[in-house]
Amino acid sequence: MSASSTHARGAVNVLCTAVLLLLVSLSPQAAPPAPLPPPPSAPPLQASPARDHDAIPLVFVVNRKNPVATLSVADVRMMLLGERSHWPDGARVTVVMRDPDEPERDAVIRLVCKMDDRSYTRMVLRAVFTAELQSAPKLLGTPAGVMRFIYNVPGAIGYVRASEVDDSVKIVRLSDAPAGAAFGFTLQMR
Amino acid sequence: MQLRGFADVQFRASNERDVPSTFSIGQMDFFITSRLASDLALVSEVVFEADDQNHYSLDVERLLLQFSPSDYFDIGVGRYHTGIGFYNNAYHHGAWFQTALGRPRLFAFEDDEGILPVHGVGITARGRIPSGKLGLRWIAEVGNGRRYGDPEAVQVVVDDSNYKAVNVGFLLRPERVPGLQSGLSVYHDKPASPSGRVNQSIIAAHVVYQNGVFEQLNEVVFIRNTPIGEAATSTTTGIYTQLSRRFGRLSPYVRYEHLDAPQDDRLFGTLGRISGPSIGVRYDFRDLAALKVQWDRVTTRRGATVAVDGFTAQVAFTF
Repeated sequence: MSASSTHARGAVNVLCTAVLLLLVSLSPQAAPPAPLPPPPSAPPLQASPARDHDAIPLVFVVNRKNPVATLSVADVRMMLLGERSHWPDGARVTVVMRDPDEPERDAVIRLVCKMDDRSYTRMVLRAVFTAELQSAPKLLGTPAGVMRFIYNVPGAIGYVRASEVDDSVKIVRLSDAPAGAAFGFTLQMR
Repeated sequence: MQLRGFADVQFRASNERDVPSTFSIGQMDFFITSRLASDLALVSEVVFEADDQNHYSLDVERLLLQFSPSDYFDIGVGRYHTGIGFYNNAYHHGAWFQTALGRPRLFAFEDDEGILPVHGVGITARGRIPSGKLGLRWIAEVGNGRRYGDPEAVQVVVDDSNYKAVNVGFLLRPERVPGLQSGLSVYHDKPASPSGRVNQSIIAAHVVYQNGVFEQLNEVVFIRNTPIGEAATSTTTGIYTQLSRRFGRLSPYVRYEHLDAPQDDRLFGTLGRISGPSIGVRYDFRDLAALKVQWDRVTTRRGATVAVDGFTAQVAFTF
């Protein structure tokens, strides 16, 4: 899938959501719907390489002013582990990670860094401790928060589900993504 | 500013004569970092530790103002861990980071009867070298060297010589094998000792692999000492290898060390030959706290051969 069609789909999603919200707000009985309870036996998400058509694509996103359009998986891994701290234009890399236990974070750490969360946390701490990394990744809990941060910080890089991307950020294509993936990696229901 | 702490508590028992079993508090390490600008940061380590007489002292083990304008050039001024070998730069004063209970004998701190210049005061610079997927890196340092035979081995305020210690090295981190690193460094100084100055060259090589589950560390260091004005050179050799694999929260490990100093070495002649295995297991019972238990046998040959078996348990944590 090309970057432009993903952007278009994201824009359509945003537009439909905005129209829906407008109609709801104009309704005399407008009230936010109660959140649905999770299904009692919701299967946990498991990170795995892209395989099935119903997998959930993850994408890496950067600030719109970042000239980089393509990264390799190795490039992203080095950024996540603090081994690469600058973009080609000299801007400092600021990594944005989701909170621990979030499936997106688990997927990225397993599939990009090839390790589990505990090892990743220890390696990042050690990179800060050895002064290879000047500061630990920024932790944010929501995709909206991730995108808002990236919008405001020129050298930031993070990841969200493809369906959550909006126009405030730019998707970076992974040059060596596994075959069949939209971009990068997917989450798959167990 | 960000503050993080590291500390450990341990218990040791051995069959060494006249050495009782002991509970002890290890170093209490306060690690402070502060971002002064987008490319300027402060890194410091302030350590409280007690000596053999149970007296506490405070040491500024690291104080580094670091300027990082690009991945190819990063320079710091202050007190740092020298880039000799792998272990010294990968592990500082927090026991929690290390898989094993303690540092290899070869990389012991100066105030722990260490033989290497573990700390430097001066300028340290490093960076990447454009080399594609090879992942080549360089390191260069110049600073006050260390003293031998002096309780204050690290020359923090006053250097006793105009001659400065120099260290240069290269690292290789190939992208195709994430976690693999090899390196070579060469250090030179003219340190003072009670028996005079020596020309000292330290050549260190390492091949290590760490991927979060599996760890293998291998290092060899040659320390060549030539008393100034004399021709005879003695070479002290230090080597260690460490293997560990993580199974969930458990990480069993094994290490073997060997340190061999010639009798005629002006600085290390009394060390003799020290070698032996360490076998242990690390249990990360919480994400930020680990229990380590280790058995080691240290065989020392200084004329007579003495073997000491020791058992140590340590709780290491970060906060």
